[in-house]
Amino acid sequence: MATKESLTEAIAVAGSPASGGIEKKKFSPLLWIAENGVIVFTIALILFAVIFVNGFASLPNITDVFYRAAPIGIVAVGMTFVVISANYLDLSVVAQVATAAVIMIGISNEYGLLAGFAVATLVAMLYGIVNGVAVGFFKANAVIVTLSTTFIGLGVLRWLSGGSIFFGPEDGPIRAFGQASLGPVPASALLLIVITVILWFVLNRTTFGFAVRAYGSNKEATRLAGVNTTLVVIGAFVITALAAMIGGFALAAFSNTAVSSMSDGYEFRALAAIIIGGTSVFGGKGSVLRTLLGVIFVSVLTNILVLSGIGFGFQQMAIGALIVVAVSVDALARRAAKK
Amino acid sequence: MSQQTDTPQGGGAPEATPQTMQLGAARGGFLSQLRVTLARRTEGRGLALLTVVVIAAAILEPVVFTSYQVTLGRVALIGLVALGLTAVILMGELDLSVASTLAVSGVVMASIPDIWLGVLAALATGLIIGAINAFFVVVVGINSFIATLGMLFALRGLAFVLSDEEPVRLSNIDAGIAFGTPLLGPLTPRVLLFIAAFIALQIFLSRVKAGREFYAVGGNRQAAMDAGIPVRRRIFTGFMISGFVAALAGVINTLERTAADPTAGSTVLLASFAAAIIGGVLLNGGRGSVLGTLIGALALGILQVSLTLSGVQVDIQDIFIGVILLLAVITDPANLRAALAGVRSSFRSREKAQTPV
Amino acid sequence: MRNTRITTSVVGLMAAAGLVLSGCATGDAETPDAGGSGEETFEVYALLPQGTDQPYGTTYLPPFEETAEELGLNLTITNSQYDADAQASECEVAVAAAPDLIILWPAVGDTVRPCLAAASAAGIPVTVTNSDVNPEDKDLTEAYSGPDTYGQGVSSAEIMCDLADGEEIGILVVNGLTGNSTAINRNAGFVDTVEANCPNVTILAEQPGNWNKDDSQIAVSEMLTAVGPENVDGIYAADDTMVAGAIDALKARDIDPEPLYITSIGNTFLGNPLVVSGELDGTVFQSSSWDGENAARLAHAVLTGADYEENLFMPSVKVTAENADDPSVAPEW
Repeated sequence: MATKESLTEAIAVAGSPASGGIEKKKFSPLLWIAENGVIVFTIALILFAVIFVNGFASLPNITDVFYRAAPIGIVAVGMTFVVISANYLDLSVVAQVATAAVIMIGISNEYGLLAGFAVATLVAMLYGIVNGVAVGFFKANAVIVTLSTTFIGLGVLRWLSGGSIFFGPEDGPIRAFGQASLGPVPASALLLIVITVILWFVLNRTTFGFAVRAYGSNKEATRLAGVNTTLVVIGAFVITALAAMIGGFALAAFSNTAVSSMSDGYEFRALAAIIIGGTSVFGGKGSVLRTLLGVIFVSVLTNILVLSGIGFGFQQMAIGALIVVAVSVDALARRAAKK
Repeated sequence: MSQQTDTPQGGGAPEATPQTMQLGAARGGFLSQLRVTLARRTEGRGLALLTVVVIAAAILEPVVFTSYQVTLGRVALIGLVALGLTAVILMGELDLSVASTLAVSGVVMASIPDIWLGVLAALATGLIIGAINAFFVVVVGINSFIATLGMLFALRGLAFVLSDEEPVRLSNIDAGIAFGTPLLGPLTPRVLLFIAAFIALQIFLSRVKAGREFYAVGGNRQAAMDAGIPVRRRIFTGFMISGFVAALAGVINTLERTAADPTAGSTVLLASFAAAIIGGVLLNGGRGSVLGTLIGALALGILQVSLTLSGVQVDIQDIFIGVILLLAVITDPANLRAALAGVRSSFRSREKAQTPV
Repeated sequence: MRNTRITTSVVGLMAAAGLVLSGCATGDAETPDAGGSGEETFEVYALLPQGTDQPYGTTYLPPFEETAEELGLNLTITNSQYDADAQASECEVAVAAAPDLIILWPAVGDTVRPCLAAASAAGIPVTVTNSDVNPEDKDLTEAYSGPDTYGQGVSSAEIMCDLADGEEIGILVVNGLTGNSTAINRNAGFVDTVEANCPNVTILAEQPGNWNKDDSQIAVSEMLTAVGPENVDGIYAADDTMVAGAIDALKARDIDPEPLYITSIGNTFLGNPLVVSGELDGTVFQSSSWDGENAARLAHAVLTGADYEENLFMPSVKVTAENADDPSVAPEW
């Protein structure tokens, strides 16, 4: 296995900013905005909401924002690994989240919570490994691979679950988790924070994390540095799948129900949060903390729009425009800074 | 996408051939590289799948062929958007906004009382959306995957806003019903328009210089620029083709259904990708053909019609399509080669590791 | 060494999964061929927009298929997943197969006229189930059986009006999936009736809940913040799943749902207990088994020339605390 040093070199060869100190550092305000736009935007949006939107700063509403952010956030921080490894996205999270939710409630009802977790984990591993092997070993395009596993996964889920709604018992442990909170912070949001911290550590402080970023910057250099790139890709997909599983648990716990259609749209919503956070879809550059900010931004924005009584159509338009604006600002500022 | 250094052929000794080939091509100039690209026929697996599907359908559900106009209608429904998408994918770009474009243009059309004015407005909408997509990709310089992801959300929202979240009925319903009836023999206008779009794109991409240059833009963008190809203009053309064709599909759907549905196209995006990929179009650009997409759409369409006729539920149909898609992408010659190389190199490294011990 | 072993086991696993999948798929594909044993059998196509991918469709299908088999209808069922274009294409397939009858459950009501015209041109009778076609298209169909989705909204509104009893109150509204026909019709029925019968009831805010409990829960909580919980005297949600989310949202804010006027539609496994416990004041029974069974019965009546009602409406039974325990309104899905 490769050492961190040789990997850092591989990253340096690619000239990625991910390794920090290697590029010559010269402060440029434009570049700073490009890099940190999401922080500025998020703070500005929250300030705007506190001042102008009635009820935004109330405790129950802060809880609602957390509820909005938690399940999709857990999925998005996990999927950040696939995006950083320059594999675009994992479309199949939409199937993974629903499958995990249905297994978690359906199997826990019959055989207990531990059995539910065990089966959900196994299924998540299967998703991660099948996606990872097809992408990492067969070098197939991740969009198509995860598109096919979405078809297969949702097909199997609907066929086996019969599209039924599964309810957890009112006094069950899943319900208890869904209702637990620490002040205004629900347990699912704490789970999001814990998972973000763990995944931050994995991405930034372990050899595997270095390898994922190095691979995203420069596949060939990483391979030549002696890294088993197939395992790196499989690892990225497995982490995404495990996070999607936990996201499914958080979603199921929130409503104490599970149904195969409950995660519709999660694949693109998670990607939107990752991109708004500033993780590059070209790979190599990005972080789970940025994704967390992206998720908070989108959740606050949706919350504000609903509080203001704005309809679904305008909500969608706002999110779409935001993605394009966020990335355009990044691209333009970067180019201006180069001149 | 194509700027990435993702060569599925990878490095190492067994892969020397493609590399030398590329070197030779660079030496022989860009035109010979083009010839090499074109010489690699890519429709093989799509054709194989089509053959299997046709034989299976002929034995199990001959109705698929005795009522071929219906099957063709299904193929045209799946395939039209895929044809336009192919132009974009060939250049190594993506257009995720096609389904939303289809919905918006349908709503625009149905909102205008005069049917011809409506059709023109809808098609213009498609062209404008394509131009906006291209503007973000070419002028602003953001990845097409993200630009069109943003448009996917924004245009769907726009369709809901314009339609007031309800289906919009055509003011001239009889014209719509007339449009759905066969025009030439058993062929409906939808099938005829699909064939026309196929022929036009096939000629454009194989006989017209600008169209042939799409392959170069997708294969090696830097080389294409060095060869003096106006890459930016080609990308604009590609996205406008994709937007126009998606809008055309929206027009046809709206006419045939006599109403525009703002939720329309929910199954279009994924089915179009599937058709193009099964037909051998490489998602990283530079490889594939409109003919391949047609074959992919034929295979998918016949498969769906025969499964529907045999009463197979939609979830099982999805499993079928998913497995076929996964097999198609894994058995791509380049991917198989990569997998073989991976196995070989891991064997070799083990030998190396064992000798010192 | 370890790598190869992992690789081999992965490949083996995938192959096994593939085998299982294909095995199951063929197994399922054969079942519809087992035809009925009645004296006279008919070929019938059923074009549905949902099946085993939705809770309602899952409980609609078994009584539908059983009744059809008993009556000698040989069913071919399709599921367009609410994509109007997919359903139109399935309709073309059905017309081409020239069955004795087509049962249609429109994916999008406004878009089915061409399908009806094609069937009528081919001389194939069409009956409609679950959601009726537009009035101007009725002449192309033989008969309709199913709930009156507009009428359900009306019934739920009537419960709300009775509860308000002339009082000036403000309510929140949670709608179904944006753009969906059932969502549009139920909302229209509710809003029209409130305007006509009890203008004293004011809709303070409305948002879609997408037929999901979790989406509804967050949306209701946010609407409470927006209009102020003290101003909200009632909630209407377009189905029981979403009303359960709304009630959870109230509880999460320590608001007792019992004094509030809360109505919905469905009387499902989720909704019925809430009526019994008094948290939900009233809902409207939608029986999936009635719906499925009568779709088959009506088709058979049309085929055999027996007497039938042209509009066989599922009774929109209002379920309140008084009759919630009644076996005739036992929940089905």
